[in-house]
Amino acid sequence: MNSVNGTRLFFDPRRMAVVYVMLFGVFLVMILRLVNLQVLQHLDWLGQAVENYTVIIRDPASRGIIYDRNGYVLARNAPAYHVVITPADLPDDPADVQHIYRELSALIGVPVNRGTVEDAKRIAPCVEGPGIVQLVALGESLAPYTPVRVKCYVEENIARIVRERAVDWPGVSIEVEPMREYPTGSLTATVVGFLGPIPAAFEAEYRAQGYVPGRDKVGYAGIELSMDALLLGKNGRRVIQEDVAGKVLRNLEPPIPPTPGYNVVLTIDTRLQAAAEAVLTNEIREWNEFFGEERITSGVVLALNPKTGEVLAMVSYPTYENNRMARFIPGYYYQQLSQDPRRPLLNHAISSEFPPGSTFKLATALGALNEGVITLGDTIQAPGQLILAEKFSPNDPGRERPFVDWVYELRGVINPQGFGTVDFLRCIAFSSNVCFYKLGGGYKDEIRQGLGIERLRQYARAIGYDQASGIALPGEQDGLIPTPQWKRINKGENWSTGDTYIASVGQGYVLSTPLQVLMSAMTIANDGKLMQPLIVREVRDSEGNVVEKWYDPLTGEITDTRSSPTSYRISPFTPTLKWDITRDPLIREYICEGPYCTETDNFKTVQPSVVQAVQDGLRLAVIENQGGLRRGTLNRVFTELVNLPIAVAGKTGTAEYCDDVALAKNRCRFGAWPAHSWTVAYAPHEDPEIIVLAFCYNGDEGASVAGPIVARVLQAYFEIKAIDLAASGGG
Amino acid sequence: MIRSVLWRHFDFWLLGAIVFAVAFGVAMIRSAVAGNEEIAQSVTRQIQFGILGLIVIAIVTALDYRLWLNIHLVMYGVTMVLLIGIYISAQPQFGAARWFQVAGFFIQPTELAKVVEILILAWYFEKTKDQPRDLRWILGSLAWVWGLAIWIFLQPNLSNVIVMMVIWAAMIWISGIPVRYLAWGGIIALLGVVAAFPFLRDYQRDRILIFLFPDPNVTYGATYNVLQALIAIGSGGLLGAGYGHGTQVQLRFLKVRHTDFIFSAVAEEFGLLGALLVIALLVFIILRCLRAARLARDISGALIAYGVAVLIFFQGAVNIAVNLRLIPVSGLPLPFISYGGSGLVSLMLGIGLVESVVLRHKSLEF
Repeated sequence: MNSVNGTRLFFDPRRMAVVYVMLFGVFLVMILRLVNLQVLQHLDWLGQAVENYTVIIRDPASRGIIYDRNGYVLARNAPAYHVVITPADLPDDPADVQHIYRELSALIGVPVNRGTVEDAKRIAPCVEGPGIVQLVALGESLAPYTPVRVKCYVEENIARIVRERAVDWPGVSIEVEPMREYPTGSLTATVVGFLGPIPAAFEAEYRAQGYVPGRDKVGYAGIELSMDALLLGKNGRRVIQEDVAGKVLRNLEPPIPPTPGYNVVLTIDTRLQAAAEAVLTNEIREWNEFFGEERITSGVVLALNPKTGEVLAMVSYPTYENNRMARFIPGYYYQQLSQDPRRPLLNHAISSEFPPGSTFKLATALGALNEGVITLGDTIQAPGQLILAEKFSPNDPGRERPFVDWVYELRGVINPQGFGTVDFLRCIAFSSNVCFYKLGGGYKDEIRQGLGIERLRQYARAIGYDQASGIALPGEQDGLIPTPQWKRINKGENWSTGDTYIASVGQGYVLSTPLQVLMSAMTIANDGKLMQPLIVREVRDSEGNVVEKWYDPLTGEITDTRSSPTSYRISPFTPTLKWDITRDPLIREYICEGPYCTETDNFKTVQPSVVQAVQDGLRLAVIENQGGLRRGTLNRVFTELVNLPIAVAGKTGTAEYCDDVALAKNRCRFGAWPAHSWTVAYAPHEDPEIIVLAFCYNGDEGASVAGPIVARVLQAYFEIKAIDLAASGGG
Repeated sequence: MIRSVLWRHFDFWLLGAIVFAVAFGVAMIRSAVAGNEEIAQSVTRQIQFGILGLIVIAIVTALDYRLWLNIHLVMYGVTMVLLIGIYISAQPQFGAARWFQVAGFFIQPTELAKVVEILILAWYFEKTKDQPRDLRWILGSLAWVWGLAIWIFLQPNLSNVIVMMVIWAAMIWISGIPVRYLAWGGIIALLGVVAAFPFLRDYQRDRILIFLFPDPNVTYGATYNVLQALIAIGSGGLLGAGYGHGTQVQLRFLKVRHTDFIFSAVAEEFGLLGALLVIALLVFIILRCLRAARLARDISGALIAYGVAVLIFFQGAVNIAVNLRLIPVSGLPLPFISYGGSGLVSLMLGIGLVESVVLRHKSLEF
């Protein structure tokens, strides 16, 4: 035994020293660690503690409502009801809980017990499968204060029963989710569109603006897409303190309530829309029954006010049922739509391009008269066919081939004399192809200098072709007016004289959307003034005040003030003049010799008298009847089928085409070409207030298929107008 | 014998520190309940256990510690029977059958076994104090320890086996184990750990792996708990959030906050100051026990006091180190402060033994 200072020691002091060193060493390390955590890293850890209990809740803003021009609701938010159980609020006694489950199960049809909690983990919310016990057990283990959806989308009366029994069933409640509802459904689906989840590619962007991917929905088509920024509204923001179980304790910051989206009033008149849809589908059905096959596969009807550019009806057939996309976009339905060769998801009025056919003669006529290719007094020989040389270069001797008129072979009868001798107005009224070949491409001594493709393009562009209209709808196409350069680049071939001839009658490479065809006629009808086509009439805030909004079609941006030269005002209602061809020098001047033109830097306008003359030609198409072939193309429709007491003017078109469908049927050969049916007409002729266009894919003759549609829609328009006048006490 | 005790030698500083630690623990448990009804009873229970512990201290202090050495075989046998009993028949709970439910309290014989080990080793090393420090002597002591530890190992409760081995190592160290054996022992222990790793239970292996390679993204389990403990400690700062105001504790992000992670709760609500106070309290208690060891009248008394000091030191150090993420999660409570009846009573039993040693150091007085 060691002995120090008279004390007996049992332990070796050196060994004891080791023990003390370890003791103090260990605690020293801990103290250093504590200082590091609590003093040096304090703010980092404090931040994590705050993050632990801080939850930002984005209360959803209610989406704006879409109305038609008369205040009829086209899109609204309807409540969807879900039966939910908040596990933490259930009674403590398991017997009481079981009692509630049994009663609830009897009401909503979800079994009390089915499967295991493990099964429930694998099943997404709202998908049927697990029993109530399993769903609640799973929810309780994750976040007991978060309501578990036991049954989704229950009927309103069931929701009411559950609410009434709230006292007997603690923990059971109803969660209300706003769901988009389209009272007019497929009638306006083309215009209104539908909603879908925030796309993965834009998740970060939307999240930064306070939207919640997976919950909040955004526009996928139509107005829902183009006006999404207005309709969305602004989600609220609540910063709350939560405990680990998800129980909300208090607000950490003053809460910001959600701002509802703006309500959008469209220019559409649902009544006219319904009439137009009925007329179009009936006509298509009748013809398809007549032919015994689905020959006409799609069609378009457009009705606008030419003075203001307001779209009163926009029907694209076939379409889809946007109510079926309200809860979620069903995979099978979307696949069915997207694989349908008739393209029901496309708005054919603005998103599909077709050859405009004879309706394009408005551009040729306007140019020919304004450029002095022909005068009003001149007459032109219009035989049934024209033998013309197809030349690819100035020195090319050319290969002669016939360019036929549409009357050359009519219902099995050959008419070699065609329309005979016609003047400018009757060229339009009878829609003589031969006449327009000559005007466009020139013909011997009769028309020494034709209009030529370059100048034709200038006039076509001036009345709306070859560029998007800028209507506030997504997916608009540009159309195409070809140039020799375009052909060299895209087809690897020189421009030929034949190309000019057929471009003059809207065939060949010329492509346009139905809206462009309508705009061309609208420019003529409105004395050369092209109005911006409008689909939005005004935008209102949630309190009903009309607010100022500008739309830029180039970017799709919506701003409170004019943001760029291309933007136009969509609210308050303002008709916007795109341009006036009689005032704005839009037509580039060319010096032409034969089929070859050189560009200059001078621009000119269209003479008002020229516009007037084309109007007269369109009017003649309705009223002229000299018997036999010399009859206006729309005369039969407006005298024998629909006799309107109002002066109508218009133009038909039968546009031969060749696409993959026609090619597959071996129809792309001379004499067998299929044709689209076009008609555009406006009324009253003197002071037009309505212009209607009809297009039928593979409808063949314009006058007999699209013509009646236009006539009946015009009739419907004036009937609706009469009803409105009577209702407002006017006369 | 009792009559000859001089109560003025009673270490009131030690008792005071214990009472303070237990009271502070009760206060922290009260805060740590944080509205959780399942553990709401623990405040009352801890107070009951604290009072029971004080009675135990009084009784054990009054009895001469040599009494236990005289009946060491009975004591050893009863403890072993209890351990075998829970190994064989106890209800499985919390994944391991460690508990006996007696009179509404959870009694854990394992806690008792650690104190009994100290007594047995004190008896053994006193009896063999004049024997050569050879392998036989070492293995003899190990045999006594493993007679109890094997049953704890089979439960399985690795943490407490480690505690028992550390007590054995510390006691054989102070009893003069030659350094070369110690080196061999260290190597064997290291090899044993490596060799045992594949045989560990999944959760044990996970605890070690999670400590070595933490996954920062988990929202549950051991990593999550330790991360929440670090957040609690770090966010406490210098002075803490205040009693009852720590968000990690009160909003229950900190798990098992009334037992394994009570140190984090202290650190959050009382800051660095509170954490240092707890450490200082532990150091003070350990030093008072070592003082008792120095004053003891015989080797067994010294070893008992020393052993209790080691027990408190090791459990406290491991618990705090887990809280600070210095070592893997072990499940050892913070002495005197964590909620847990048997642990508290066993430790107070140990303190009673220390007081008994202090009280009977008469031989130093002339």
